[in-house]
Amino acid sequence: MLSLPSRTDRDLYPALMSPVLCANYPTDHKAFVRIDVSLRIYWHTLFDICPELLELSGPDGMSIFRPFMAWAGEKKLAFDWSYYLWVYVWLRQSPFKDRLLADDKYLRSIMAASAARWAILDRGRDCGIVIGCADTKNLVIGWKCRSVRLGREIELIEPEEPLPAPPDIFGYFTLQSFELDIFPGWQSLAR
Amino acid sequence: MRLGFNFTLGDTYDMVQRLIAERHIDYCEFLIDNFFCVDPNELAKAFDCPIGLHIMYSKFLEADRPMLVDFAARLRDYIDALNPIYVSDHILRFSHEGRAFFHLGEIDYSAEYEFVRDRVLQWQEIVGQRIHFENYPSIMDGGREAPAFFERLMKETGAGVLFDASNAVCSNRNCGTPFEAWRNVIAGAQHFHVAGYRNSLIEPFISLDTHAEALAPDTLAFLENFRSVFDKPGATMTYERDDQIEFDDIVADLKLLRNLFGEPEERRHDLALSA
Repeated sequence: MLSLPSRTDRDLYPALMSPVLCANYPTDHKAFVRIDVSLRIYWHTLFDICPELLELSGPDGMSIFRPFMAWAGEKKLAFDWSYYLWVYVWLRQSPFKDRLLADDKYLRSIMAASAARWAILDRGRDCGIVIGCADTKNLVIGWKCRSVRLGREIELIEPEEPLPAPPDIFGYFTLQSFELDIFPGWQSLAR
Repeated sequence: MRLGFNFTLGDTYDMVQRLIAERHIDYCEFLIDNFFCVDPNELAKAFDCPIGLHIMYSKFLEADRPMLVDFAARLRDYIDALNPIYVSDHILRFSHEGRAFFHLGEIDYSAEYEFVRDRVLQWQEIVGQRIHFENYPSIMDGGREAPAFFERLMKETGAGVLFDASNAVCSNRNCGTPFEAWRNVIAGAQHFHVAGYRNSLIEPFISLDTHAEALAPDTLAFLENFRSVFDKPGATMTYERDDQIEFDDIVADLKLLRNLFGEPEERRHDLALSA
């Protein structure tokens, strides 16, 4: 028997992004399956795009996914394009920190994933985004689709003259044309 | 019934050109806001066929007016350049309390009707265009209220419904929404979607609108049983495929649809001329 309201999706909205709340629903109920479908997409969005993270967590990813989602819930993270960057922020203060920082492939993958997510989801007028990180001098740029024959494009830049490090772990700025010809300063991630 | 294919990003460009050249489709549907950085004139020349414009991320139920005005101004450039058969959008939730869903949420049809109706009126006024709104592949039982909701919405806003037949099949399987309940909506709609679905990985199984599989037997049966309600002058049906994109598989499904609905009136005219 399910004592929680579950007539509509709306009744389930808070649980759709919370493994903790999902556990309140009986596993043989449609509401549980609906929530599970939603949570799996957060999981796949992370690990299908950044499979290297499974080397840290083990193959089911749950030692990263569950505590990250709980932390994200406490911080009320928006789960916008910066989803992956916040995973890195969490990893950096987790038991995975030393292994994370020992190989920059994790950071490269995470920055590229967030740049790509911005390029596909942002509906503002900007053409590109530049993401920087205090842990690397490299930059990652995401470009929106600029031709009917192309998709979004992601570039890794190793600048000869590094930009100043962002004041937080990550910073970003957006580009109003398809040229990287300005540095207006770093913006901090919004939660 | 004109058949179309959804074009969401450049990697299927050559395949869509081939579908058009081999006359498997009669028009193409752009997921238009994916192309907001592409010159409208380039898009207008991209395919030698009529075009539909499908909006994904207007978020018109959640965005504030200045954002919608800016979105609509850009959309307008594409409407003017492409003269689309239709413009369509989604009635669903992208976020809850400022936090994004990755699997988008269904609205509460009874509790939110007035709010949605007012937003639909505002959005059509801002765009300056009749918009066709897509039905959701309902999972929870509240989805049974969707047919009456869309019927009333069409009546009170002048909006159209982009009726997604396979979403209605998912809704039927998941919460028992009878196909018959959609009859008036289908009769009043001119533009349709259809795609494959799959079951959830865990039980009790629910059907998910995935756009990655062949058309299911119950989807084809639904189309066949309601064929005369779907088919009408000017009607369009977009076959959606976003994953497992294999040309031969897509053509096989398009042939099933063509066999079901026959050549569209415009095409019959072309064929008669060429004969």
